[in-house]
Amino acid sequence: MLFSSIPFLFYFLPCVLIAYYLAPKSAKTKVLLLASLLFYGWGEPIYVFLMLGTILMVYLLGLGIEKYRDGIGEKLCFWAAVIVSLGLLAFFKYADFFLINVNRFTGASFPLLKIALPIGISFYTFQVLSYIIDVYRGKVAVQKSFVTLATYITMFPQLIAGPIVRYADVERQLIDRETHFSKIAYGIRRFILGLGKKVLIANILGEFCTHFRASEEKTLVFYWAYAIAVSLQIYFDFSGYSDMAIGLGSMLGFQFMENFNYPFISKSITEFWRRWHMSLGTWFRDYVYIPLGGSRCSLPRNLFNVFVVWMLTGFWHGAEWNFIAWGLYFGILLIIEKLFLLKHIEKKRFVGHVYVLFVTLISFVIFDAESLSLAFSHIMEMFDVGGTPFTSVETMYYLESYGFILLMAIVGATPLPKVMVEKVKENTNIRRVVLVFEPIVMVVLLLVVTAYLVDGSFNPFLYFRF
Amino acid sequence: MEKRKIDMIYSLIVGTFVLGLSIICWLKPADDISATERRELTQFPKVSAETILDGSFMEKFETYALDQFPMRETFRSVKANIQKYVLGQSDNKGIYLAEGHLSQMDASISDVAIERSVNKLSSVYNTYLKDTDTNVYLSIIPDKNYFLAKENGYLVYDYGELYDKVTDELSQMSYIEIRDLLAIEDYYRTDTHWKQECIVDVAEYLVDSMVTGHNNSKSDYEMITLETPFYGVYYGQAALSVEPDTLTYLNSDVLENCLVYDHENQRGIPVYDLNKAIGRDGYEMYLSGSLSVITVENPNASTDKELVLFRDSFGSSIAPLMVEDYAKITLLDIRYLNENMIGEFVEFDSQDVLFLYSTSVLNNESSFR
Repeated sequence: MLFSSIPFLFYFLPCVLIAYYLAPKSAKTKVLLLASLLFYGWGEPIYVFLMLGTILMVYLLGLGIEKYRDGIGEKLCFWAAVIVSLGLLAFFKYADFFLINVNRFTGASFPLLKIALPIGISFYTFQVLSYIIDVYRGKVAVQKSFVTLATYITMFPQLIAGPIVRYADVERQLIDRETHFSKIAYGIRRFILGLGKKVLIANILGEFCTHFRASEEKTLVFYWAYAIAVSLQIYFDFSGYSDMAIGLGSMLGFQFMENFNYPFISKSITEFWRRWHMSLGTWFRDYVYIPLGGSRCSLPRNLFNVFVVWMLTGFWHGAEWNFIAWGLYFGILLIIEKLFLLKHIEKKRFVGHVYVLFVTLISFVIFDAESLSLAFSHIMEMFDVGGTPFTSVETMYYLESYGFILLMAIVGATPLPKVMVEKVKENTNIRRVVLVFEPIVMVVLLLVVTAYLVDGSFNPFLYFRF
Repeated sequence: MEKRKIDMIYSLIVGTFVLGLSIICWLKPADDISATERRELTQFPKVSAETILDGSFMEKFETYALDQFPMRETFRSVKANIQKYVLGQSDNKGIYLAEGHLSQMDASISDVAIERSVNKLSSVYNTYLKDTDTNVYLSIIPDKNYFLAKENGYLVYDYGELYDKVTDELSQMSYIEIRDLLAIEDYYRTDTHWKQECIVDVAEYLVDSMVTGHNNSKSDYEMITLETPFYGVYYGQAALSVEPDTLTYLNSDVLENCLVYDHENQRGIPVYDLNKAIGRDGYEMYLSGSLSVITVENPNASTDKELVLFRDSFGSSIAPLMVEDYAKITLLDIRYLNENMIGEFVEFDSQDVLFLYSTSVLNNESSFR
């Protein structure tokens, strides 16, 4: 079930919130767990048992780590949890990728497994790992309640698309949290804005990208417009979903970490990754990069660590070579910045902005391509290597038709709207007007989103495949 | 006002709205059909362990929730208007509004579709017509985009190229050009079809081109306009505020006496079925719509000539206007009739045979499979 769907907005969510708010404090976690299982089971009626099995395994092995602390049993339980969790992820997500490549490079013909990917397995596996690693490191106490641990892993607001919430960040909130009107109002605001970003911007930009892919007469202008549109589509899609998750969390009394902070205003790729999918970046930093030695080691080792982390980051996004290339592309850029580029671009802000926009546009063309060769061919065409025509009637038609949305998306990807609203609110009288009209604006926005959802079947969600 | 109170009011306003809509969603009785979209709406799916475990219940429920959403038509209209007038988007899923007409953008010629269409018509010609004394003609009806798209900045393919491709491949048929006889006013504003009252000259020209010594002194038609509004095929898809069309049909003594037979269902049918005019697709009133084999016999004909009309839906409204010059017209829709069965209905010897197809059918990959 997608957040941006009629069944979620008008059937599931109202019922869950009513049950949650009416439930006594001691029963709220159980209500949330049941709702989360229903939410997951709605999309994955069979795989809900796989997820419950994973949770039971992690729960028991977590208790094992605690029981056999400082003994061999501690390590056995820890590694068993890590291997089984990663093994399940590898099996469901990467098995066919390995088989395809083994067949390709050895000439063998192993049959493909063709197993459906359980929704959200990449996200919940990382949450499971964060819990078990932190228990093993002694950073958090083992969770003795199965219901509480299961609630943490299955929590529907962030179950299928993040942010990757770490157990340590919500440990206390899982047991003791408050749901008061300020949190609910903030959550509503955040949720509706995220919904608007997803439905009114990302989905419409997605239509533009679909027209581009279907075009038989691609031009230079169309290639670049597509690169801009697809970058913004991915940003608004994913950040919109994160906003909705944070908003829902707030309505339920949780405070999840921010996942995006205007990444396209960055002046370097180093900064870009501090602003883009922050929960994933910090997860890899804390659970892969630093354990590998981080930067406190020799330069070659440090470069190796960066290389490994970014290859894995790319691979996490999908079992295709273009995702690995996408991760390595960023890894190489980060190494170049680390070695010499960063100190130069930090002095020249404008150059830094242009550089970031340029390399990120290219990166999302790689990200969105169906294969590595198609990504390469797209990039070549963007630089007129194949003698691509400059523009055409078709290109201009779609640019005109989607121009306003593209412009809105570009402005919306900067802090400008937020700064303007804050500025306007400095005037006491205007602030009062805003206070009165804001809920009305939100209702209108929700109505418009509903109108788009009712009308359209075009409602893909990009991060489902992760 | 303190922040706590503001947050409370805020939450209550939005919450009440969502809850209100949610309650209506749960309680609203399901509608059966969508008149504007001309389709049945999804009903609440069957609940069983099997449908839940295989996910089909959830899948169907999502369609049900969309189809049965309260004030669905209003929401769709809100979306269409915002898309056009606020976001400035030129079309809505390919449907555009220009000069008061709704039309479906068709930007490219499908080589696959043209090849399939041409192969199908060639195959019929080679199987049934090649070695007969029949006079075989071809005419192509331009769709509305021919008149609307380019002038209003919408994407459109090169009609000249499509006409050349089809006529070159079907050069064994005598081609009758009718584009100059048509204008955008000859089509319904909300539908893809032409209006019967506007194509009398087209019918006469076609007959003129086929019948030597054709008598032009026709009986006058009585023009009857129905009061029921006609929501064309684009009306529901566009969801924009456009006035519906009206249906008009032309009647005459000759037509009143014609005998029409639906061979598919083995029954006599009227030339104009007024019950269908108020049905899902009002255009089906002309010869009862998409039937695979129909014969129209004119007992008062002064000739024994016969016409075999290979046609799409455009043929339903023009065929009655050609009946005065023939003793019998056989309408064949080979999109729904197996090619091998044509011989069961028509024995080809010296009839006039007209292949009359619209560009929208010829350029559609699913027309002739």
